Amino acid sequence: MRISQAYLALYNALQACGWALVLANLLYGILRKDLPEQLYAAAGPITNVVQGASLLETVHAAIGLVPSSPLMSLMQWMGRSNVLFLILGPISQLHSSWWSVLMLATWALAEVIRYPQYALSSLGSCPAWLTWLRYTMFIPLYPAGVVAEMGLMVAALPDLAERKPYSLELPNPYNWAFSYHRFIQVVLALYPFLWWQLYSSLLRARSKKLAPQPPKASKSQ
Amino acid sequence: MKLEVVSRSGQTIATLDVNPEAPVSELKRKFYGIKRKYYPSRQRFTLPLKPGEKRGTVLDDSKSLSHYGLGDGGKVEFKDLGPQIGYSTVFFWEYFGPLVVYPLFFFFPKYLYPHLEAPKQHHLVQKLAVAYWSFHYAKRIVETFTVHKFGHATMPIFNLFKNCAYYWGYAAYVSYFVNHPKYTPPNEKASLACLGLALLMQLGNLRSHIILSNLRKPGEKDYKIPRGFLFNNVTCANYTFEIWGWLLYSAAVQSIPAYLFAITGALQMTQWAIAKHKRLVKTFDGRDGRPKYPRRWIIFPPFL
Repeated sequence: MRISQAYLALYNALQACGWALVLANLLYGILRKDLPEQLYAAAGPITNVVQGASLLETVHAAIGLVPSSPLMSLMQWMGRSNVLFLILGPISQLHSSWWSVLMLATWALAEVIRYPQYALSSLGSCPAWLTWLRYTMFIPLYPAGVVAEMGLMVAALPDLAERKPYSLELPNPYNWAFSYHRFIQVVLALYPFLWWQLYSSLLRARSKKLAPQPPKASKSQ
Repeated sequence: MKLEVVSRSGQTIATLDVNPEAPVSELKRKFYGIKRKYYPSRQRFTLPLKPGEKRGTVLDDSKSLSHYGLGDGGKVEFKDLGPQIGYSTVFFWEYFGPLVVYPLFFFFPKYLYPHLEAPKQHHLVQKLAVAYWSFHYAKRIVETFTVHKFGHATMPIFNLFKNCAYYWGYAAYVSYFVNHPKYTPPNEKASLACLGLALLMQLGNLRSHIILSNLRKPGEKDYKIPRGFLFNNVTCANYTFEIWGWLLYSAAVQSIPAYLFAITGALQMTQWAIAKHKRLVKTFDGRDGRPKYPRRWIIFPPFL
């Protein structure tokens, strides 16, 4: 086994474990009828770690370790990280919102399928049922996830308008102004469109990956 | 001879009778004759995929069908490139926008910065900046119609909207802040020096464009090694001057949006430059009497 193969298998396995912990904490808490802020307290910190670490995936793409586009990878990471670190984390009122629970749960459910599928694929032996799960479960999970992310951003708007975090006002020596509140409004307007690009490309990938494979070697993805 | 035109999914679209020595453009003319929707610039023909290929060989308009080994009963794959628009048309509209949009913020602050008290006079930097910006885009439009010789006649029409959004959008974004009533001017002498140097960069860029446009004689379609001026050291010397021009403009106005514009442009030009440099190195490999492409910087010494 090459080092790169072993590294990828290890990376994906660790991510799978991390997200499994997130999911386990959420399920356990939900069964105990915990409040959203308790669920966030239990699952939030681990989510921060795995999400932060997933920036590595952009590096993997940039150095050619995986065939993905580094730009796409970075944009997806920034989208999730923006909601998790810049919005949900700092705004404590949102910790008691069910949007945050929905978001963490849909992310975790998708990732505990995706990372094991990557890990086993990089070792060359991924069972067909897992590939099927990876290319099917996103169908309900991704829409639920994007609705949750948008719900959180909308819920955050009043706080962002008042506190004005990460913002810059004129006059200043950089001759630039940036309103994070306005930025999130623009992001909300673009989100459905950007999300659809990702979702439709996964649907296309699904028909390729789940189609009966022809006997001769097909073009690589 | 008879050629079978198939779609990318393998279905036969048409069978055409053509002379083997006829150029590909004749094939396109005939195809247009039976499929009126697909005018020639929209058509792309490729040879069927050989094992190991990701994309079939694209048929060049000027080459003969026999050049590609096509004989009676041969197959060609057809792809619709979508509605096409001329390069000069796109260039004109994408450069016309910034020429109009940027000065709007300078001349009409009452309407573009409502509820803000505008100073009676603009700072010298702001005046020179609008002059520089306008000169730059006027130069680009003039070059489009008098200097540039385009390798392709058309591009997909979607590019018109994409490119205009980029240029017009950034023009508004940069201009809004540079011409803002609350603009903080930097050191005047430093700004003047930067703009002066930027102007020199523009002249360097113009000279580079003229050198490039003289590389091919009318009718020639082959790649040439650019020589002279900065091209002796840098493959895409034209981009070098362009990037320096925008960096110096940004330094002159001291505005983050200007730097963002410069960086975005530099990234795109870098992508193009790497592809061009690789193509030239691959073409001029030093074998079969071809010259070997000299060792050169790609786009921006001392970095790349």
